[in-house]
Amino acid sequence: MKPEDMLRQALEIDAPWHITRMRNDLGKQQIDLWVAQETPRGSWFFGAKNTTPQGSERVWRHINIGKARCMVHAIPPTSPDQQQLPWFGEAEQPFTHALARQIAGMFLEGISFQAICSLLDIPVAELWKFKHNLDQGKAGLSSPQPSHATGAEQAASNVPEATDPVWEKLLDGSINLDIRALSLKLLLTKLREQFALITDGDVRMLKTHEMQRYFVRHEKMLGHELAQLVQLSGL
Amino acid sequence: MKTIQALISVTSAAEMILSGKTLSIAGDETALRKLPLGNWIGGTIPYFMAAGGGTISRDEVFVTEVSDFESTPQLRFYDEGSLAQICRNAPENGYSVVIIPAFSACHANFAANAPNYEDMYMKPLIGWIAGVHLDDLGKIKPKVVLGTTGEFSEENTVVMDVTLPPEKFAQIDIVNLFRPGNGPGITFDDTGFSAGACQIDGTPANLADYLLDNGIDTRLPLVADYSGAMINVSIKGIERSSKRVEFYAPVFPGVEYRVAAPISDYHHAIESALPKVNGEIAFSCNCILNFLYSDLEGKHTGHIIGPMTFGEIGYQLLNQTMVFLNVGD
Repeated sequence: MKPEDMLRQALEIDAPWHITRMRNDLGKQQIDLWVAQETPRGSWFFGAKNTTPQGSERVWRHINIGKARCMVHAIPPTSPDQQQLPWFGEAEQPFTHALARQIAGMFLEGISFQAICSLLDIPVAELWKFKHNLDQGKAGLSSPQPSHATGAEQAASNVPEATDPVWEKLLDGSINLDIRALSLKLLLTKLREQFALITDGDVRMLKTHEMQRYFVRHEKMLGHELAQLVQLSGL
Repeated sequence: MKTIQALISVTSAAEMILSGKTLSIAGDETALRKLPLGNWIGGTIPYFMAAGGGTISRDEVFVTEVSDFESTPQLRFYDEGSLAQICRNAPENGYSVVIIPAFSACHANFAANAPNYEDMYMKPLIGWIAGVHLDDLGKIKPKVVLGTTGEFSEENTVVMDVTLPPEKFAQIDIVNLFRPGNGPGITFDDTGFSAGACQIDGTPANLADYLLDNGIDTRLPLVADYSGAMINVSIKGIERSSKRVEFYAPVFPGVEYRVAAPISDYHHAIESALPKVNGEIAFSCNCILNFLYSDLEGKHTGHIIGPMTFGEIGYQLLNQTMVFLNVGD
């Protein structure tokens, strides 16, 4: 596989879309990519050509390439299906769908604004704009994170919300469960060891979310443990 | 479909492979090398708990047929650099069977770092550490095999990822008869396969001195309580000159260990300790140290059978522990 193909794969830019141009001199630690649709000319002799652009070019911030910011330049497609491609963004959003989902995942994990800006090298103003648009219903995330339960699953779930104080009590040892599942015994031991060392509130929240995610994922086999947890959650 | 687990001839195993079955196979290297290419992974070991009791055989192989999968299981090697991705790459609903050659870099990496691998404990990971006949220690290296290519490796880890249908789920459990004894609590400052300095009931001490001075039977493992799961670290030996104790799995800082209480009759004790399993056993193994120390040749350990290995994997590396996986609805 050519390096360019590996880059396309990493950034989820699949055929018929391809990278027509790359520059690394438009910003410090920044790589700019121009993406266009490739259509066949109908003859092997002439090979493929780029589709004539229709509309004005937009720029979105895409998922980082290592430490470098990645900017995608493209003309939005008219087809609704193609508008959901991970490397496109919505009209008024600063980020591509892929980056938006990555950030949303971090929000769900309880990571602070400041930490997200620092981890992804995103200006605070851009993140606020993104969050505001989400809160106001002006933007969506186009598809849920695969590691999280769907809305329907969450609605049917008996697992306490991630913000429920029961998770912190479980991790700081204030409450104990009679546990049958081996994976829970091992995970809880690890998280309790970590929790005892962590003082940062954001990082502690990450750990409680990790514990809650485990319960959501394994709810089917955790009836015995979950019954105790739900009871303790109501106290 | 009922999972088939059995100690069988190489000829019978070859027939199963050629009929297209997906298998996990344990056997002596000479036996494994006679098997044809196919959908199987394997590891070297000539010690088994078979239906007929504890057995040492260089001619037969122990096969575990993988069934009930939703799509064809994925078989592949991981090297030391990619090993940390093992859980992340595992199926969202299913399980992974992993075999690691003893004494390899993968073995050391997994033992020390597995609890911190991404997605660890989120997806069922079961398996074992490949070994050799004790007569061959130092002469032949343990190996694992990727049956699709026939490649043997003494460095890489072989993995089978099994995706289950949505209505089924896999669950791993262990049976460990050892319980912490009445002795003092032992803690360590560093992760390691060997240790000298430690704290005994909070007082700085040397573990080798403690074991020797108190005449402790080193066939008894150190045991730690992981929220109700008893996790062993088996003692390999004591280096008197360096005053260090060698282990078969690493000790970790922040964990309190105690020397296990003795067990008078392992094979009778395990018969009564085996839990009732809902669903069928899809994979199981036990430890060669239990085989040797409890003299299990010709004896049974309940209805759970499989290879007797140089280390068991129930998410993380375990010692002197029976591990099994069952698939339920």
